Amino acid sequence: MKKILAIAIVVLAAATLFVSCAKKGSNELVIQSYMSDEAPKAAFQVLADQFTKENPKIKVTINTTAHEQYKSQLMNYLTAKEAPDVLTWFAGFRMQQYAMKGLLEPLDKAWDNTQFPAAFKTASSYNGKVYFMPQSWYWWSVYYNKDVFAKLKLATPKTWDDFLAVCAALRKAGIEPIAIGAKDTWTAGGWFDYMDVAVNGGPFHQDLTAGKVAYTDPKVVNTFNYIADLSKKGYFMKNAASYSWQEAATLMFDGKAGMYLMGQFIKDVAPANKKDSIDWFRFPLVGSNTAYGVDTPFDGFMVPAKAKNKENALKFIAFLARKDTQESFNKSLGRLSSNQNVPVPNADAQRGLDMVKGATTAMQFYDRDAPEEMASKGMDAIVEIINTPAKAADILAALDKERVRIYAAVQ
Amino acid sequence: MKKTESPGVKLAKKTLFYVVATLLVMTWLLPLVIGVFTSLKSMDELMADPVMWRPPKVLHWENFVDTWNKAGMGRYIINTFIVTVPSVVGALLVSSLAAFALAFYRFKGSRFILITFVAGMLIPFQMLMIPVFRMSNAIGIDDSWAGVMLFHMAFQLGFCTFFMRNFMKQIPISQIEAPRIDGAGEFTIYSKIILPLSLPSLAALGVLEFTWIWNDLLWSLVLLRTDALKTVTLGLANMQGEFISRYNLTAAGSIIAALAPLAVFLFFQRWFIEGLTMGADKG
Repeated sequence: MKKILAIAIVVLAAATLFVSCAKKGSNELVIQSYMSDEAPKAAFQVLADQFTKENPKIKVTINTTAHEQYKSQLMNYLTAKEAPDVLTWFAGFRMQQYAMKGLLEPLDKAWDNTQFPAAFKTASSYNGKVYFMPQSWYWWSVYYNKDVFAKLKLATPKTWDDFLAVCAALRKAGIEPIAIGAKDTWTAGGWFDYMDVAVNGGPFHQDLTAGKVAYTDPKVVNTFNYIADLSKKGYFMKNAASYSWQEAATLMFDGKAGMYLMGQFIKDVAPANKKDSIDWFRFPLVGSNTAYGVDTPFDGFMVPAKAKNKENALKFIAFLARKDTQESFNKSLGRLSSNQNVPVPNADAQRGLDMVKGATTAMQFYDRDAPEEMASKGMDAIVEIINTPAKAADILAALDKERVRIYAAVQ
Repeated sequence: MKKTESPGVKLAKKTLFYVVATLLVMTWLLPLVIGVFTSLKSMDELMADPVMWRPPKVLHWENFVDTWNKAGMGRYIINTFIVTVPSVVGALLVSSLAAFALAFYRFKGSRFILITFVAGMLIPFQMLMIPVFRMSNAIGIDDSWAGVMLFHMAFQLGFCTFFMRNFMKQIPISQIEAPRIDGAGEFTIYSKIILPLSLPSLAALGVLEFTWIWNDLLWSLVLLRTDALKTVTLGLANMQGEFISRYNLTAAGSIIAALAPLAVFLFFQRWFIEGLTMGADKG
């Protein structure tokens, strides 16, 4: 028995020793990344390797955490005594809320106005200072199955009436008109952004996500009536809430569903033999409106105020802003670069870019423009309205109570 | 006198038992079977066919190789061993000492201490995420194995002490008094008499603790930032991307990760069953 005890004590002692020996060096750059998808992870590693080549004295470490868990841990990363030097994150309010609290380092030294459009600077700044370095962006649009449309001789809809006609034709043919994987409630967030901008225009929607408009406002109710109407007519797929976004996409790939309002990354999950039968069109215009808005979330980087190696972090941020590095990262992923000097990677991306250039309003996305808690309540409400359209008024009244509470806490 | 059943009723009862038992076993095994099937399918097949329990058309064994290489499972598994083994050993050591005192010494407040241990088990750990991070960050043990081990030991202490104390209570007090009369010190009694007698329950508890700590995601997630230190549960979670989840690789990884606790269980199985039922039949 003494033997066992002795072994136990030795194991414990060795473990403590082992751990305390692992002290960290000085000339380092620690990057905390949420790019856990295989392709972006590999593309990012290429950049890190290039940075090491250009700055051989800096030891670069990339730590990857799965996206959902990263979000839950971000506050810990920002407030830790030995904070990471560079963090991946989103532009817009999602970043500005941390700048507001003084948790971020200004990046003005690394920012070059000739590299980025003015709209990007706005979404990357807070109180006149830049806190965010955009790297890539993608667009949301209505994806559809070309084979299904060809078989039913349907043209891509331009107006809301066309859209309803297409839905009716698909329903008649026994195909789910609109796929939506509402188990991931953010899929509903896209519907809210696009529908509200189409019905009420961009400036009104921006006021709404900024908390200045009530969810019980007649104009907002009107937006939700459009969504509720689609649901009452049975145009959203059945049992939407039991599908993840990816599972719902499969229905469209297989021709069991016709259309899907989704981000450009939907192409990444399409099986190889179905990729070419998937295409997209712009969200239809409602009424006499000709102006339209687009969801163009952009992803990038920020530096915590408590970062240990700030000098290296700023060097890396400037490196990431460069034309060649953005091109190398985005080309392989088919995304668009934030740096405006990078040529567009392919024809599809060119169409996306043209759509964005013609838009009067560029949104980040509901859950990036509004406070996270507000967006999550809002997206739950949209899913609820899709399930029980008759209760829309009650659901919106409850949602507005949350708005008052949440924005009071934010400001 | 007991009424004897007719052969017909007996047969019907037996059939019913086997039908129900088979159904139960199948229900329990189904998720495991789906896991194994998923791990052997290609991603395209998974996305094209919503029927999860259909066997794979082509067996993609390379999924296992892929997870091992690309996801770096090897590193994660070694890390998990480094965290788990000392945590289990530490928790058993400290809790058996506490249990020894609680079971054999009469002192004021011993009941209160025991209740504190039990009450500690009732706190949902999710509630402690932020305090644990703040504290470990303040004393500089966050993002290190030492921190994770420490919190594992601390949080498992309640259950372990409770379990060991109840077991030791059944050892006759004379086993302590006899050596004490012979002049043995308290630590000698603990290490030479009580520990060997508790071996079966220690083994059972060890297996349980090993599985729990091995499968823990929460504390590793809260405390570890550096990839080189991460444990296997975090590694599996990292296979889910922002948009795309590779279900087949995750399933393959989960199967690999489950092998270690399985091996430990099989190795200690004999003591495990003995330890759990120990004292259930008073002779």
